[in-house]
Amino acid sequence: MAHLLEIKDLHASVGDTPILKGIDLIINTGEIHAIMGPNGSGKSTMSYVLAGRDGYEVTGGDILMNGKSLLEMEADERARAGMFLAFQYPVELPGVGGMSFLRAAVNARRIDAGEKEVDQLEFVKMVRAKAKHLNINDDMLKRAVNVGFSGGEKKRYEILQMALLEPTLSVLDETDSGLDVDALKVVSEGVNLLRDPQRSMLVITHYQRLLNHIVPDYVHILANGKIRRSGGKELALEVEESGYAGINDAA
Amino acid sequence: MPASMMQLSLDGVTGLTGVRAGAQRRWQNTGWPDQRAEQWRFTRLSGLQKMDLRFAESAAITAENQEFSAAMPDNAAFLSFSNGVFDQASLDNLPKGVKASLLDGDEATLLALSKLVPQSHPISDLSLAAMTSGIHLEISGAVEIPIVLAFTGDDNSLSAHPVVSININDGASVVITEWHRSNVGLSAPLMAIEVGKKARLDYAKVQQDSAASTHLAATGLKLGDGSIFDGFQISVGGKLARLETHITLAGENADCTLSAIYLGRSSQHHDITTNMNHLKGHCLSNQVIRGVLDDKARGVFQGKVHVAPDAQKTDGQQMSRVLLLSRKAEADAKPELEIYADDVLCAHGATIGELDETQLFYLASRGIDGQTARAMLISAFLDDAIDSIKNDELSAMLRPITTAWMTAVDLNNAGEL
Repeated sequence: MAHLLEIKDLHASVGDTPILKGIDLIINTGEIHAIMGPNGSGKSTMSYVLAGRDGYEVTGGDILMNGKSLLEMEADERARAGMFLAFQYPVELPGVGGMSFLRAAVNARRIDAGEKEVDQLEFVKMVRAKAKHLNINDDMLKRAVNVGFSGGEKKRYEILQMALLEPTLSVLDETDSGLDVDALKVVSEGVNLLRDPQRSMLVITHYQRLLNHIVPDYVHILANGKIRRSGGKELALEVEESGYAGINDAA
Repeated sequence: MPASMMQLSLDGVTGLTGVRAGAQRRWQNTGWPDQRAEQWRFTRLSGLQKMDLRFAESAAITAENQEFSAAMPDNAAFLSFSNGVFDQASLDNLPKGVKASLLDGDEATLLALSKLVPQSHPISDLSLAAMTSGIHLEISGAVEIPIVLAFTGDDNSLSAHPVVSININDGASVVITEWHRSNVGLSAPLMAIEVGKKARLDYAKVQQDSAASTHLAATGLKLGDGSIFDGFQISVGGKLARLETHITLAGENADCTLSAIYLGRSSQHHDITTNMNHLKGHCLSNQVIRGVLDDKARGVFQGKVHVAPDAQKTDGQQMSRVLLLSRKAEADAKPELEIYADDVLCAHGATIGELDETQLFYLASRGIDGQTARAMLISAFLDDAIDSIKNDELSAMLRPITTAWMTAVDLNNAGEL
C-alpha cells in the first residue's frame, strides 16, 4: 500500500532562492511527525509547499499523497483531498462571517466526496460541540473570520477548523508561536483529541516545549533545506539541551 | 465645443416657454462640457457626438414589474417610464399619501425644480428642455407602500429625458426606488427632491441599463430641518454611466447618507459624482463608496463636501474603496473638502487595491475553490456599503444584483488579462 505522504528529494524555491534542497520524508497513516529546525531552515516553506501556495515553486522531486502526486493540484484541491494547514499566522477576513466560512469549507469537501451538504441547523450544533472543547464561545463564532481575535483565539480557531474538516494529514505550522503556557495547553489538548489511527500530523516547531504536549512518534531536524537527522521523541530533548549548533555537520 | 457639433441638438425643439426655454438657451450656449471642464476630466462624452439620436416621443413598451428584482415587495407601486415617456396608466394605482401630476405646463413646479437640480449642469439644462415626460409627486404622511420609478426602453436610437420632481412634506416618510433597465442611446434622467422638516426618504437608485446605453443622471436634493435621507446608488449597466447627485443640507440636524456601489467589466465606465453642501449646522453626512472593476473597466468617484461658515458641528464622512480585479482596470478618486466653519468633524479617504493573495490562499487551504473564494471576498468588500442601508426591503432588493454580477463574471480569470 502507498504511504499516506511520501516526499521524494523535494527541491523548492521562493523567487530565485532555493530553500528546500532535497527533502525525503515518509509519513504513514496514524503517525505524528515533528519537524524541528532553526530559523531560516525552511520549515514554513515546507508547510506552504505542501499546502500548494502560489509563489513556492517546486524545482525538483515529488510529493505523493496516497501514491498520487500533489504537484499538479491547486491548494483547494489538496485541501479537499484531505490536507490541512494550520497557519502560523492565521489570516483575518474582514466582512466574511465565521459561520458561513466554516460551512463553505465543510461543504466544499462534502460536495467533492459526493456527500450531502450539511444543513444550517445541524451545522450549528456540530460547530458548537467541537468549539466547546476549545473554549470557543458563540460570540467568537459570530465574528468575522479571525477579526479581533487574540493570538490564542486565532490558534484555537485553526484547531476548530481542523476538527470540522477531519483531514487525513494535518500540517501544524509553528502552532505554539505566540502562545502562553495556558493557551498552549488548550491548543495541544484540542490537537490530542484529534489523534486517531486514521489521521496523521506533521508538527512544525522551533521549540521542544510543544512536543511535551503533542508527543510525536518521530522527530526530524531540518537545517539549511535538508533533513539532517531523524529519530524518536528523545531527539527533541537532545536539541533542547545542545541546541541546533552542529546539526549541519552531522548530516 | 459648440453644441452645433453634436448630433443631439435642441435646435429643432420649438415652442418652449418660461423655465424650459431658459434651459434650452443655456444649453445651446454651452452644450456638452468640453475637455477642459474640471468636473468632466475623468468622464469624456466625446462618444455621444458620434451617436445619431432623436428625442423619444411616445411610450412603446410597458415595464413588467417582476423583471426588476426577485426580492421586490409584492405591494410595490410602479410608476413606469418607457423610452423616457411616462405611462399614465400607472397613475391608477397610487398608494395612499401620494399625489401625482404632470409637469408639462406646470410653470411653478418647473421653476422650483430648476432651482433644486445641479446648477450649470449639461443634463439639468438638456433634460429640462428636452423633457420627454415629467411628473411631480407630492408625498404626505407615512406612505406604507414602497414606490418604484421604473425606467425601461427598447430603442437605442432614442434619447430619453424623463424628469421627476418629488416633494416630501414635513413629517412625511416614503421609500422610493429609481430603477433603470433601459436599452436606449442616452438615458438622462433629471430628478429634484425636497425632503421637508422631520421627513424621511429611503431611496435607492439602480442603474442596470443595457450594455449599449449611455446613462447620465443629474439629481438634486434639498434636506430640511431634522430630515433623514438614506440614499444608495448601484451602477452596473451601461457602457458609460455617470450618476451625479447634489445635496443641499438646508436645515439643521439633517441626517444624510449617500452610499454607492459600482461594478464594471469589459470596457464599461462608471462615474459617481457627489456634491454635499452643508449650509446649516449639526448635520451628518456619510458616504460609503465601493467599486469593483474587472477587464478594462474604469471607475470614477468625485466627491465634494462643502461646509458653509454657518454649518458648525457638521459631521461629514466620505470613504471610497475600489477593488481592481484586472491589471487593465483603472480607477480614479477625487475627494474634495471645502470647509469654511471652524468646529466640524470631516474626514475623507480613498483606497484602490486588489484582492489579497494571502486571504485567497487561506480560503483555498480550507478547500474553497477560487471562484467561490473571490466571490466571498468581493461580497465582504461590498457589504460595507450595502450594510449602510437602513431599510431592510431595499437592501434585500439590492443584494441579488451584486450576487448576479459575481456569478456572471469569470472571477477565475480575474487578474490575468
